[in-house]
Amino acid sequence: MRVAEKSGRCHAIVLCAAACLWFSGCGGARAEDASSWHDIETKYIFGFTTGSGIGLEGEKEFTVDTIGRFGKRDGHYAATESKYEFEFTPTQFIQIEFGALGSTHNIGGVTDLDDKRQVAATGAFAELRYLALERTANNPLAVTLAVEPTVRLTDETTGGRVRNYEFETTVNADIELMKNQLFAGFNLLYEPEVTWTPMGDVQREAKFGGSAALSLRVASNVTVGGEVWYLRHYDAANLTAFTGDAVMLGPTLFIRFTPKMFMTAAWCAQVWGREIGNPVSLNLAEFQRHRARLKFAWEF
Amino acid sequence: MVAVTMMKRLILAALCASAMLQVSASQAQQATEVHVTYSKGQFQPGEVSAPADKPITIRVKNLDAKAMEFESKSLRVEKVVAANSEGVINVRALKPGRYEFYDDFNEKARGALTVQ
Repeated sequence: MRVAEKSGRCHAIVLCAAACLWFSGCGGARAEDASSWHDIETKYIFGFTTGSGIGLEGEKEFTVDTIGRFGKRDGHYAATESKYEFEFTPTQFIQIEFGALGSTHNIGGVTDLDDKRQVAATGAFAELRYLALERTANNPLAVTLAVEPTVRLTDETTGGRVRNYEFETTVNADIELMKNQLFAGFNLLYEPEVTWTPMGDVQREAKFGGSAALSLRVASNVTVGGEVWYLRHYDAANLTAFTGDAVMLGPTLFIRFTPKMFMTAAWCAQVWGREIGNPVSLNLAEFQRHRARLKFAWEF
Repeated sequence: MVAVTMMKRLILAALCASAMLQVSASQAQQATEVHVTYSKGQFQPGEVSAPADKPITIRVKNLDAKAMEFESKSLRVEKVVAANSEGVINVRALKPGRYEFYDDFNEKARGALTVQ
């Protein structure tokens, strides 16, 4: 088991190093062209980390955003959740998003989880984003505050029938380190949720954490980078019953195919984690060994 | 009693609406107008300017026979302007700086608004 964990860590480090080498080389080669590039929307260039961008007033967008979670302590575990999302920007400071959720679960032989193979319509969500601090010629920092209430009828981890209410609150910040070329992104996350099981049990929990990401524009329509997340899990919404934490690390990619269509991809591996009361490496009870994101968007 | 309460609410709503209209009217009065023409796939003039910390109204007159889309990431606006027509884009009060814009249907067409 430890061999597998080390192997996962090695993969993450090697991929990050390869991404860094690749984009530093490409960046140098193309640096002279950067002055002719259009400004870039930063919301999707950092992978799982969300940038401060809120779109353009008058812009509408449809996206399919899938996040996959893979690997538990034993057996095989693969779960995905997809957001089918409509977003629009009614003012130059506010963005609104809403949509439906779908999920898949493929679980077999995992301790404490029932075996399951299913595809389900999961629930719905809405998100409100407010640009609190905008980037200007004298201020490279931009900050957006976001809240995202979500209702689920399928448990994210087990795939079982539940009633789950989540209220994700995030601070999305980014800094332009090199004009139009190099950006650093930071997220702060607080995600309380309450779940009612079919047996009538009520579970309250919360995630708290943050991320840091770097993204380099290697061509006018391509950015590559890396990000690191630190996440803590609590069995209470008020962050009093700490159960474990984890560090995840991985590369990111953003490609704009046409002026109205783009994709973002990211992958993170858990490189460190702990479960309170369980002396094993990694936290695979509350988090997963790997997670991946693939998002396609069409603007109109 | 119910009618009085309803009346109070209506008066309050009317006052709020009136205040909002006054605010938007005063904002419209304060806005600086900037005129840009789009012709033969180019903005003319390519560089325009406006004062800082005042709302701006950009009037884009498209003289070409096909639609264009005025877009700017830094101004955070986009608007499709039909052929041989004018589009009006209201922009918040801006800090000093250079704000690029372009035609999203023809990315070679570029211009900039300098705020000072």
